[in-house]
Amino acid sequence: MEDDTIVCRCEEVTVEEIRKAIREGAVDVTGVKRRTRAGMGLCQGRTCEKIVTQVLARELQKPLSAFKQATVQAPVQPITFNLLAKASHD
Amino acid sequence: MTDKADVIVIGGGIIGSAITYYLSQERVKVSLVERGDIASGTSGACDGNILAIDKMPGYDSQLTLKSQKLLDELVESVDYDLEYAQRGSVLVVEDEQQEPVARDWFTRQKEAGLPMRYLAGREVFEDEPLLARDVIGLVECASDASLNPMALVYGLVEASRSIGAMIRPFTEVTRILQDSTGAVCGVNTTRGMMSANQVVLAAGVWTPALAIAVGVIVPIKPRKGHILVAEQSPRPARRKVQEFGYLLTKFGGTEGRRVEAEMDRHGIAMVFEPTEHGNFLIGSSREFVGFDRRCNHHVLELMARRALRFFPTMRDIHIIRSYAGLRPHTPDHLPIVSPVPAVPGLYIAAGHEGDGIGLAPITGKLMSEMIAGEPTSIATEPLKLDRFDS
Repeated sequence: MEDDTIVCRCEEVTVEEIRKAIREGAVDVTGVKRRTRAGMGLCQGRTCEKIVTQVLARELQKPLSAFKQATVQAPVQPITFNLLAKASHD
Repeated sequence: MTDKADVIVIGGGIIGSAITYYLSQERVKVSLVERGDIASGTSGACDGNILAIDKMPGYDSQLTLKSQKLLDELVESVDYDLEYAQRGSVLVVEDEQQEPVARDWFTRQKEAGLPMRYLAGREVFEDEPLLARDVIGLVECASDASLNPMALVYGLVEASRSIGAMIRPFTEVTRILQDSTGAVCGVNTTRGMMSANQVVLAAGVWTPALAIAVGVIVPIKPRKGHILVAEQSPRPARRKVQEFGYLLTKFGGTEGRRVEAEMDRHGIAMVFEPTEHGNFLIGSSREFVGFDRRCNHHVLELMARRALRFFPTMRDIHIIRSYAGLRPHTPDHLPIVSPVPAVPGLYIAAGHEGDGIGLAPITGKLMSEMIAGEPTSIATEPLKLDRFDS
């Protein structure tokens, strides 16, 4: 993968930024996310999580299976303020 | 691994990294020990406020002003994009019942030296046009700012590393070690022993558990707070907006706010914070429910409802994520930044509740001054651990 390839399209994070985060100590998808914003956008990592994991595996020389998925937090898909505010009334 | 340092700092959150930074600046040999990744606890589940407006007028707000000045220097000297923006912040006054309390707050903060303004009537909507039409006033503090809290932690850690600090993530301290006189001589960790004659405990809500093992009681309790993250969207407001009632949920007392009982039960108060990336964060909740960091969906619902009360135009904006963090609460809402008299060489820097990001620079500075035995930048009596002895 080229350095300037965009991995997270929502937040426009490149391979090089992810490698830098790993050099600074990120060891998993969540650590990369905190340092680069990869996976913090509208899709919440659905698109980029696998690619971030591949970069981690390559840089840290570990098998893909060594990496856990990032923590899943509500909502599982984007929800408007209006719908959430009325959740228990419906 | 055996390693020898002058000072071991326990806790790789905002407080531990600020202390490591200021000590390293003074050429002190520091090891920073963190059981997980850097910024993976409370500092990775918060917002990025540098606020004086919500501090008790007096010592509390003076401490914040000192911290803001240090932060201005950090923004210049730390080679990391901190996403720092100084746009000021406002408190929204909901109704006539709140107005006298809000005006009193404004007056006392102004007298304490903060750059305050009180906006009423049309001025409110000239300042923030999308606020609900029935609110009646705004209290503004022009010096308040925000930044990316995780970037500040990583920036401080990288800056410290570059001037010689040892950074030890994924290393859990299992015990603080004392010599035959009771003085601190190091720590045991999951990766071996480390020695130092000074140890700073900066582990936030996890501080009491480590302190009690050396016979020290630290009155910090985890106070859980939730945050909603909204998608990138046209901004409902241009800067930090909090309901005045936030001060009531923070300092206790619920008079002066007409809300459903369950809002008060979970300590819900609207806090809006725009980020530099075009998203915004919505808070807040405050409750004592132990160490559980999972989101309570009912609390998230109440927070969304409270946000719409102040910003009806948010209704069609999407929420993309939620998270919760454990804020280290002390009984008097001030942090503990203090030596531990009973254990020579042991220091505590914890208990900042929701003010850790804003107060980190002054905390780091004060701790480095205390350890060097120098006069401190501000009086530290109100921050001493023994203030809780009775």
